[in-house]
Amino acid sequence: MENRLLHIFRNNPFGRETLLQSIYFCNKVGAFPVIYIPETTKFLMYFENDVVQVDLDKSYLTSPETALKRATELVEQGGLKARFLDPKHYTASTLPDIQTNFDYMCCPRSISDMSSKIGLGYIGPRVRRIVKSARFPVLITSPVYKEWKSIAVFFGGSVNAVKALRLGFHVARASGMQLDVFTQTENLSKEDYQQIIKDRNLEKEMELYVNRWHFFENRVFEENLYDVPHDALVILGAYGHGVIRNFVFGSMMEKIQSTISNNLLIAGPNYTTLR
Amino acid sequence: MKLTIHEVAQCLRLPVSTVERWIRQGRIPIQKAENGYLFNESTLEKWAAMYKLPFSIPEKVNTVPQQAKMENLLPSMKRGGLLYDIKGGDVETVLKNAVENIHYLSTTIKEILYTNLLEREQLTSTGIGKGVAIPHPHDPLEDMIKNSIISTCFLEKPIDFNAVDGQPVFVMFILLSPSTKIHLHLLSRLSFCIRENAFVEFLKTTPDSTAFFSNIVDFENRLKKGEHH
Amino acid sequence: MKKTRILTSWRYPGNWPFFRFDDRLLLILMAAIVGNFSGLASVALNRSLVMMSEWLHHFRHDWWVFVLPAVGAALSSLFLEKVVKEGAGHGVPEVIYSVSRYGGLLRFRSSFSRLISSCLTIGSGGSAGPEAPVVISGAAIGSNIAKYFSLNDRQRVTLVGCGAAGAISSIFNAPIAGMVFAIEVIVGEWKSVNIVPIAIASVAGTEISRILQGNQIPFSHHLFNIDLLNIFASIGLAVLSAAAAILLTRMLRSMHTVSHKVSAPIWIRAAMGGCAVGVIGLFLPVVLGEGYHTVKILIEGEYGQVLAVVALASFAKIAATALTLGWGGSGGIFAPCLVIGSLIGVTYHHLLSLLWPSVSWVNEGYYALLGMAGLISGMLQAPLTGIFLIIEITGGWEVILPLIMVSAVTTTLCHYFEPASYYLKDLVEHGHLLRPGTDARVLSDLNVTELIEKDCIIVNQSMLLRDFITIIKKSHRNYFPVEDDQTGNFLGIIHLDDIRPYLFDPVMYDAVFLGQIMNTQVEVVHPDDDLLDVVRKMDMKGLFSMPVVINNRFLGLISKATILDQYRKELMVQTTH
Repeated sequence: MENRLLHIFRNNPFGRETLLQSIYFCNKVGAFPVIYIPETTKFLMYFENDVVQVDLDKSYLTSPETALKRATELVEQGGLKARFLDPKHYTASTLPDIQTNFDYMCCPRSISDMSSKIGLGYIGPRVRRIVKSARFPVLITSPVYKEWKSIAVFFGGSVNAVKALRLGFHVARASGMQLDVFTQTENLSKEDYQQIIKDRNLEKEMELYVNRWHFFENRVFEENLYDVPHDALVILGAYGHGVIRNFVFGSMMEKIQSTISNNLLIAGPNYTTLR
Repeated sequence: MKLTIHEVAQCLRLPVSTVERWIRQGRIPIQKAENGYLFNESTLEKWAAMYKLPFSIPEKVNTVPQQAKMENLLPSMKRGGLLYDIKGGDVETVLKNAVENIHYLSTTIKEILYTNLLEREQLTSTGIGKGVAIPHPHDPLEDMIKNSIISTCFLEKPIDFNAVDGQPVFVMFILLSPSTKIHLHLLSRLSFCIRENAFVEFLKTTPDSTAFFSNIVDFENRLKKGEHH
Repeated sequence: MKKTRILTSWRYPGNWPFFRFDDRLLLILMAAIVGNFSGLASVALNRSLVMMSEWLHHFRHDWWVFVLPAVGAALSSLFLEKVVKEGAGHGVPEVIYSVSRYGGLLRFRSSFSRLISSCLTIGSGGSAGPEAPVVISGAAIGSNIAKYFSLNDRQRVTLVGCGAAGAISSIFNAPIAGMVFAIEVIVGEWKSVNIVPIAIASVAGTEISRILQGNQIPFSHHLFNIDLLNIFASIGLAVLSAAAAILLTRMLRSMHTVSHKVSAPIWIRAAMGGCAVGVIGLFLPVVLGEGYHTVKILIEGEYGQVLAVVALASFAKIAATALTLGWGGSGGIFAPCLVIGSLIGVTYHHLLSLLWPSVSWVNEGYYALLGMAGLISGMLQAPLTGIFLIIEITGGWEVILPLIMVSAVTTTLCHYFEPASYYLKDLVEHGHLLRPGTDARVLSDLNVTELIEKDCIIVNQSMLLRDFITIIKKSHRNYFPVEDDQTGNFLGIIHLDDIRPYLFDPVMYDAVFLGQIMNTQVEVVHPDDDLLDVVRKMDMKGLFSMPVVINNRFLGLISKATILDQYRKELMVQTTH
């Protein structure tokens, strides 16, 4: 139980749903949540090659007197011990530095915008930057708490997709849940994808963990997404083979996040599987 | 030659997280590859020399602890064999007679062994009590033998060995090892055997080789089980 | 296995085979780019200030003109808070903090936000300087260019220095001063691997400035004939400048504290400060704005006011600067130091003339020059920057001897009363000033997770002493952590010394449980702890090893022996070259 998940607590009903998701996730993969109750709307996260300033939506600072108590209650109800983050360094008196050496981070689709803006198809720019720079995978939760009962990994064959696949194996091993892999056969054939798995020495893990490998032959990707179980945790890489990597995720990723409302666990390009 | 980050960490004797940090801080020359980092061995050696850091490929030696590789009593005892009815009325005679009969050794070694055993007896008696003695040379005869030998010698009649408890000795275990480490290891196991009164009583019956060795095998199994507790 | 592709696109120049081992040429190229951009930024600010002051000049004689600084300060504050959401740090200290801790990572918004906000503050009459905003913009530009090309920490820090150097060189048309400032204050490390790119960046910045604004020395002066007596007299000036610097520092701090006690939104507070400045400005217009014009007059010896007025003006400028910056205005203290310094110099000259009217003292311009050097050296505690800056902006090489003396003496005097300079004070207080190759830096780079040793054998509290002895035979260490056999929680530690007395007492073997002999009052270390604190704890309690525990689970031991090994390697990598 040494893996840590960073969770920024929003002290309102919406934030409660997100925290419940975090707690469930932690229980399943064997991690424990470290909760930051924001004292100011701004904080900095210094990554390896980028410093991201997070400007939280004001709702994050609702009734700070009750925040600690409520968060503790929720965490303890989930059977875990509540741990809170106290920033140690400050870039300026109102700008704490939040450390980035976590194993997971959980946040809703947007942290700088009002809850009303959070819906399908939208992932806030801050969240995108965090995914891009972080060494940990980011759990982007659906707005309502739902316990996921299986795992679905999208495998497109790129380096990032392999990372996502490895992450999927890790989660499957830790949670004991069924794992399905989904691939949209775009320009390559089924055999090509299987060759990629062979090249990366992942055949053994595929045997061990994967329940079924689904190949989508239908051209229109969005239509195929109906096959993904509604109560699955979807794991995928942020980028594919494309070149444009600034504010746009890979095309498949964008399609997925606009169509399904499952919880998404995204492995960014800097995600390392050294666990 | 290209190395992975794990290999580099091993060569530098550092944890992987330190090497990662040095990469990030720009202190180590690397190439950023798609899937991680690659290091050029010669570049790294040059770099390590510049900063006076130890950099060497760790030996691919099997790091099985010495303990497990060292033999236990049975093989040494088999080599040394069991000798019965050793004649003699004092320490020197029995030792001479016993050594003469150890077939495993050549004549030269027997001479040297006898001298060394005597020397050791002069220092202190090797009679450790309950009628058992363990003569051995003070320094291991490294170059002369490859494998250790324990010769179990039953004396014709018990003689005074100047043992610690004053009791006359009826059996001698002559212990010969190529190194001090092995000597201590065997001595320790032997002493475990001797501590059990049941074993000493068993020895007093002058058992034949089959019974004796099977007893030893039992004993070693018990010891093994105890160690794995 | 498929060969991993090495990233060699133009976005990753650090990976090109030519640059991999020795990246000096790469840094020089980058430095030129960074120098140009930061030079542009400072030219932009300069031009806007000039434009603003020309535009506002029309209103100089209206009755409500004292409100202008208030409006400017309020707007600037609002801009920073609401539009850019910068959460105002203090400019240069933020750059040094990031260089110390995070390898020079700066936010992109810092490249332009301070330029705009300081334009508003200073252009409207606030008593601040454009240098610090330009430094932070240049530094942020350097940092973001480094980020774009995926350079590592060391290269990024150099580029941050380049940005700062380019900015200062550009704004003063003084390449050497820019270089020296960047190395002395920002990077803190005089290594050739830094000096060369920074020099290139200074040249680039200066060139840009000359191309766009022409090549003139900002402040020319008359030649001085200096005799020995005047040189000695400079020492007195050093004392006076030191006093002024200390006064300015203290006033800034107290204004800052006072303004934080007032409970009003930030921009109102800025407006209040600005208002006060405006009022002072009504009577002594010399205190308004960055004051380059005033400096020019003072150096040329044409100020022509009596001692009392000049002395008053010095105090007024100190007060105005403290009000502007302490109450939330945006800008730096460079330029105000120049103004205050020259005012102090002229005051001193008048004082001397008053006390010893028969002696032929050098023109007051000379003392103004020296005063400027004194204030800069005293406030920034960067004597080299002070010396070179003054020489370059005035072309006054003949005054180099007294200049050096004044700088050196002022710095030393100020150091007694304010051990850390204005920029570094907060950083030092919080332990954030980490210069490379120092103990603090090495300890902050290493972290606990890198030092954990995991070869301890774990026992549980219901084990008998007899079984424990078998374990001791196998172990390589003297410490044995004890875990609860059901929950796996860390309960305590057994040290071999604790059981030595009982080791040879067979009667105890079956009578003692480990739970009885373990030490539960043991100091633990959390993986996130600062190594500095850990080492201090070890020193205080005389421990050589401590267990690392997270979430009640034992992870490993951390011992002084390993710390020494890693510390040495770290230090070697940080210093030798």
